[in-house]
Amino acid sequence: MEGFLQLLRKDMKMILSGRFFLLAFLSLVLYSCYINFVYVKIEQENYHVYLYDPQNSFSGESEYLTEVNDRKEMEEACADRTSIGIDTSADIPEIYMLSSGIETTDHYRAIWAEAVLNGIKEEEAEIIGMYNKEEKSRREITAEFLFFELSAVGFLGLASVLFKEKQMGVIRVHGILPVSKFAFIFSKICVFLLSDLLFTVLLTLINVGVFDSFILLPGILVQAGVLSLIMTLTGFLCAVWLSDFKQFSLFYLVFAVFATTPVFLVGQMGVSWDFIIYHPMYHLFTAMKSAYFNKTSVSFPYYFTCIGAIGILFYMVWRALIREVAKEG
Amino acid sequence: MQQLKYQLKNIRRDKLCLLTFLLPIIVGIAINLLPAINFQTISELSFGCIKNDLPEEDAAWLLQNGNLTEFETKDKLEDAVNDPATQMIGVLRSESGICTVLSGDELELYRTIGKTLPQLYENSGKETVFLKTVVPITADYDGLKFLLIVITLITAMFMGCTFNSMNIIGEKEDGIAFVNQILPMNTQTYILQKLALGFLGGIISTSVTAFLCIKINFKQIIPFFLLIVLAVYIASLIGLFIGYASSGMMMGITYIKMIMIVFLAFPVLIYLMIPAGSTIYLLSYLLPSSAAFYGLMDLLSGQAESLWINLMILAGHTVIWNFVFLYLSKYRTKKVHQI
Repeated sequence: MEGFLQLLRKDMKMILSGRFFLLAFLSLVLYSCYINFVYVKIEQENYHVYLYDPQNSFSGESEYLTEVNDRKEMEEACADRTSIGIDTSADIPEIYMLSSGIETTDHYRAIWAEAVLNGIKEEEAEIIGMYNKEEKSRREITAEFLFFELSAVGFLGLASVLFKEKQMGVIRVHGILPVSKFAFIFSKICVFLLSDLLFTVLLTLINVGVFDSFILLPGILVQAGVLSLIMTLTGFLCAVWLSDFKQFSLFYLVFAVFATTPVFLVGQMGVSWDFIIYHPMYHLFTAMKSAYFNKTSVSFPYYFTCIGAIGILFYMVWRALIREVAKEG
Repeated sequence: MQQLKYQLKNIRRDKLCLLTFLLPIIVGIAINLLPAINFQTISELSFGCIKNDLPEEDAAWLLQNGNLTEFETKDKLEDAVNDPATQMIGVLRSESGICTVLSGDELELYRTIGKTLPQLYENSGKETVFLKTVVPITADYDGLKFLLIVITLITAMFMGCTFNSMNIIGEKEDGIAFVNQILPMNTQTYILQKLALGFLGGIISTSVTAFLCIKINFKQIIPFFLLIVLAVYIASLIGLFIGYASSGMMMGITYIKMIMIVFLAFPVLIYLMIPAGSTIYLLSYLLPSSAAFYGLMDLLSGQAESLWINLMILAGHTVIWNFVFLYLSKYRTKKVHQI
């Protein structure tokens, strides 16, 4: 037990000296600034309608309608492929627009422009959700950033520490020390798990709000723990297998872009790809997101699979480490 | 030339490094193989209804305006409407026609659509008196597929940055950086050599990926190639910045991660969410990757005019970054001599 505590202390010191916490803090600041100053302000505006009406035949008023002075101005305003122009200079009024590339959307834009000219007004619709746009945006993007950061930091941070130790010959020394391999692996995982959980708490508190965070955090921490363990162990395994950190970092970059992009496309944009269910990261992502929206859609088989995966990864890491120690002599 | 050969020899054994430059190409091929139909649905309006609830003509009308998903029960429909990833509008039958269900977290556009849809439906019976002119898109336009291709291309461009920074940090860690200081080689030559590798690798990787994914007409080849050259050059230069600024691999990879998020995610989100010409959109041009990104998207959607504007902005960035880099490297040399 004492040996384990000493290992834990040593790992903590290594992380501190590698400025790991400083970097995690910088990420926290970057994400929080982006969420608070950019993301929550993002809005998709209504389709604007530009009216060119030289004969003043239109008398009504509408918040979606802007009058322009000539045809050219109208055409220029429509260049964004969302706005629609109405030209009433000829006998038959004309709806003018640049195709958005999707037939159905173009059809909708045309009937919308016509309705705006006829003075359409908003009516009440049944609202069934629990969140407004800002709450939803905050929860959604915080879940995404946390997912990305946990996949990245656990993966990278551990590898950087392990490569440093490899370089210093620590693994070779461990072969003759009376410390079990289990403690060696476990202490590293503990340190990264704790730092990931701390990051989770801070990111959630800052971006979701203190009150909501207290309700959500228990669920989020469970998901963050699962993700952190899986990614840290994967990082451990890759770090033992690959020969140096340069190789590892390139591998990581590819992983970060190509393994997480499809997940984001499905999770954030609602792209319907059936095969995404075979992507393991997708399930972790969905569980994380559900936790932020206080949904209990995560089922027993999911946790069972996660625990199984963690167990298998741990065993693989253990085997790989034994082989590495044997190789190092 | 001789020195470049040494540099190439240096990386030849690093198989994974070569693989990294190949990966965007592989992804490019994969994107080409994906069926196009999947990409269409994302930007369409999406409606949901309960099975056997809406009369056939109502469903047909909805299908003219977007896609329609049928759900077995009302609960399932409500779950789908509430799903934060989608902007689905629930449509139910009402006495006078249709009524809508919203989750309340929609973007303004979809909220308004939800609240005005029943009226639009009522109007649909009336005969239209309008003439409709829809200017078609010249190229075959497939929004999301293009987006994926452009993300892959920008990643390929970014590989030059990663490669350069990792190369320099690696040399720093191995102590070669110290050896370099006493070699009979001036800083300029060293910088050029280091820049050249990532630059060439990035250009080759991006060009091959582009060749596989995009059908470009002959006239656009030159601006397209210019765009690639400038963007990869800036990426390689940034790679050098990172290489000099970071003390170790860990630091370097974190810088790369942050810059990658800023350079890749910002333009994508801004392109998708914010109308062209607004203040945030214009401000995004402060990032060199935005100009490259918008330029590529313009090229794919066949808008040649704004491509040149983007190219000019990118060229401006190249000049500025070059100056900054030269100034910084002079400053650094001075500092070393002072010591």
